[in-house]
Amino acid sequence: MSSIRSTATPLRLFGSAAAAALLIAVPLGTARAEFPDKTIEMTTLFGGPAQTTSQVLADLMSKNIGQPVITVSRPGGGGAIGYTYVQSAPADGYSIVFSSNSISTVYYQGNLPFNYTALAPIAHIGMEVPVLAVRADSGWKDLKSMQAAAKASGKKLRVGVSGLGTFTHLASAALFNRLGLQVVYIPYGEGRAPAELLGGRVDAALQWSSQFAPHVKAGTINVLCMTSKDKVDLAIETVTCDSAGATGLDLTIWRGIHAPKDTPPAAIARLEASIKQAVESAEFKKAGENLGFTPLFKSAKDFGKLVADNDKEIGELMTELGINKKK
Amino acid sequence: MDALLTALAASLSWQSVLATFFGSLVGLIFGAIPGLTYSMALAMVLPITFTMGHTPAIAMLLGTYIGGMTGGAVSAILIGVPGTPSAAATVLDGEIMGKQGKASLAIGIATIAGCIGGILSLIVMLVSVDALARVAISFGPAEITALVVFGLSTICGLAGGSLVKGLIGGVIGLMLMNIGQDPIDGVPRFTFGSTAMLQGVDLLVAMIGLFAVPHVVTVFATYWRGKEMKIDPGHVRTELPSWRLLLAQRWNFLRSAAIGTVVGAIPGTGGPIAAFLAYDQAKRWSGHPETFGKGEVSGVVAPEASNHAVTGGAMIPLIGLGIPGDPATAIILGGLLIHGIQPGPLLFMEKPDVISSIYLLFVLSYIITALIQLFGVRLFVKALRVPPHLLALGILVMCVIGSFAIRNSLFDVGVMSLVGFLAYWLIKGGIPVTPILLGLVLGPTLEREARTALIMSEGSPTVFVESYTALLFWGLALLILLSQVVTMVRERNGKASKATT
Repeated sequence: MSSIRSTATPLRLFGSAAAAALLIAVPLGTARAEFPDKTIEMTTLFGGPAQTTSQVLADLMSKNIGQPVITVSRPGGGGAIGYTYVQSAPADGYSIVFSSNSISTVYYQGNLPFNYTALAPIAHIGMEVPVLAVRADSGWKDLKSMQAAAKASGKKLRVGVSGLGTFTHLASAALFNRLGLQVVYIPYGEGRAPAELLGGRVDAALQWSSQFAPHVKAGTINVLCMTSKDKVDLAIETVTCDSAGATGLDLTIWRGIHAPKDTPPAAIARLEASIKQAVESAEFKKAGENLGFTPLFKSAKDFGKLVADNDKEIGELMTELGINKKK
Repeated sequence: MDALLTALAASLSWQSVLATFFGSLVGLIFGAIPGLTYSMALAMVLPITFTMGHTPAIAMLLGTYIGGMTGGAVSAILIGVPGTPSAAATVLDGEIMGKQGKASLAIGIATIAGCIGGILSLIVMLVSVDALARVAISFGPAEITALVVFGLSTICGLAGGSLVKGLIGGVIGLMLMNIGQDPIDGVPRFTFGSTAMLQGVDLLVAMIGLFAVPHVVTVFATYWRGKEMKIDPGHVRTELPSWRLLLAQRWNFLRSAAIGTVVGAIPGTGGPIAAFLAYDQAKRWSGHPETFGKGEVSGVVAPEASNHAVTGGAMIPLIGLGIPGDPATAIILGGLLIHGIQPGPLLFMEKPDVISSIYLLFVLSYIITALIQLFGVRLFVKALRVPPHLLALGILVMCVIGSFAIRNSLFDVGVMSLVGFLAYWLIKGGIPVTPILLGLVLGPTLEREARTALIMSEGSPTVFVESYTALLFWGLALLILLSQVVTMVRERNGKASKATT
């Protein structure tokens, strides 16, 4: 305050005039201007194809919402950094986050002080369905032949996952528990699955189908099954693990948009409509095909229920694996 | 042949050339500013390429990647702060050359070394993409661990006067990288329960602190004492390297480019290791190793030829197998995928024209980047005519912006300042910063790979010595360590005998 008092008189005059003008303008402004009247910031948590997907979505939203939507990368802490940033951002609809199941995994790992209920769901954008891949020269053509061979050898299978406690680890654990196999999980990071498989250092890997597509076509990698209960269109034709022997397995990554908890309903509705239009466009569908992502719009209400159900499931799975720090 | 001609026409269309030019320029600017990286430049230009045809899109991405790699050397030479971690080794001799009034010569030679290194790596890629991709995937966690330890052994050569002080630096670097979330189990380390600390110390943030802050503090301190150097405008000449100078470096070019290509092809390694290994080798093979660190031309050629060869090397697993080796190539992969181009073994059969245009655009990017740099030299060296204390002020502003921009995090600005003041006192205590940087760069890779290898072997350490590749790198690391110890003992004996006579 002292700095304002010490400023020269003309400046002070100008300042009070400006303040007065603001006082008059603000109520008028809120009555007139509709959401959004400035740039919307979409926080992204990870690099790789997911980041590209968020950039495509932001690009399409900018075209229909009348204001730029920009992506800002806030990586680190398995997503904890970005979620924390958005959770504490003003709840005005201008801060949104490109979210995923990572909000549940990072919470149960004990690295996030709040869970999904601290954020307001806006819309479901789509899902990613991981597939189980093995080397073609292993001779395993389906889940049953892998199960039989692994049991006969008496050795533990080496399975590559993105990281311990990440979604691919949970999904693999659910799958191999159902098959009754002994497994060592090797965490090697996202993009290296094909290299580790082809290099012979892991026996199987659970990852996104787009990574394996060129190798399946080249005949060096076999994809055995996908982890969703219902069959979805992927870059590679395969069956569901549920039908191939791991009965009841249904785990997919959801991707969606969340905002801070008390974001006004009008802003949420406007964002939801913009996302619907973007996700259901032909451009987004095409991008999804190329990036190995299945676009699927769901409303805020349905999305909220899906997140809650999935969170419960992930919590139980992590307890089973003994890595749930919230129990 | 048809594919090549179609690709040639598409690659040399005005759209592609313009896209390459734009990409190179953006890359150069991002690369030259410490804290803004070519990965960020790539993420920024990616949405622009969504609506383009696939050839101009590839042109813009490659231009940005290559321009960004080249830009790093400019700030390394002019202000002694590497623009990218890959250019950290360039500081060692580049900064001294800049201080000797040979900044334009240093930038010129760095540009040409980079261009030659990059194009040599492309030639390697052309003739042996299959074979090298196979070599690249034979590097598992155990082999990469051995390679990283070999990389750490270059601390011996960088330590300067005292090996012990070099090792202290290296360990400080390794320790700093332990802060934050552990890369395997996600367990928080040294975070004191704070979510912000989960981010840990970012390599780039620490690098800016290490190099820029001590520089700025020193300049301000000298200015305060009224001892600032007067700038002689005539001192800053624009001089470009002669043919004779370049020809004398031919073995250095080849050796450094070979190191860069191989290291670049191995996923999870990258530019900084390649640059330091090449610098170390150039010094070992040189007839006059004592001139290194004192403005030696070979000391600029080696890291620059090597880190640019990494660009071609990194393209090998990307194009050959669809495997990105670092964040930058991961963004390029995203850009290719969105245009319906799936890199991998089949791309060579299904879309040979795309492969040809990638190769052509790679060369085009190098030529355009080099031209921009060589024309820009006159402009860049003008920065040296700015009084040092004003320049330092500018650097300080850039550091704050840069360290914030990396992860849009204010926490990082604090880390940068803290690491910077720590570095200032360490330098005062005679501990060199380069080994600290090496620890920072290699620490996370070393931990991740070593622990993954141990998980694979279910805890048995024999996994590290089971393959010939790993044994080779352990052997090389041991050799360097032994030769260093032998040299030290000889020097000590020499001094002792002199003292007695």
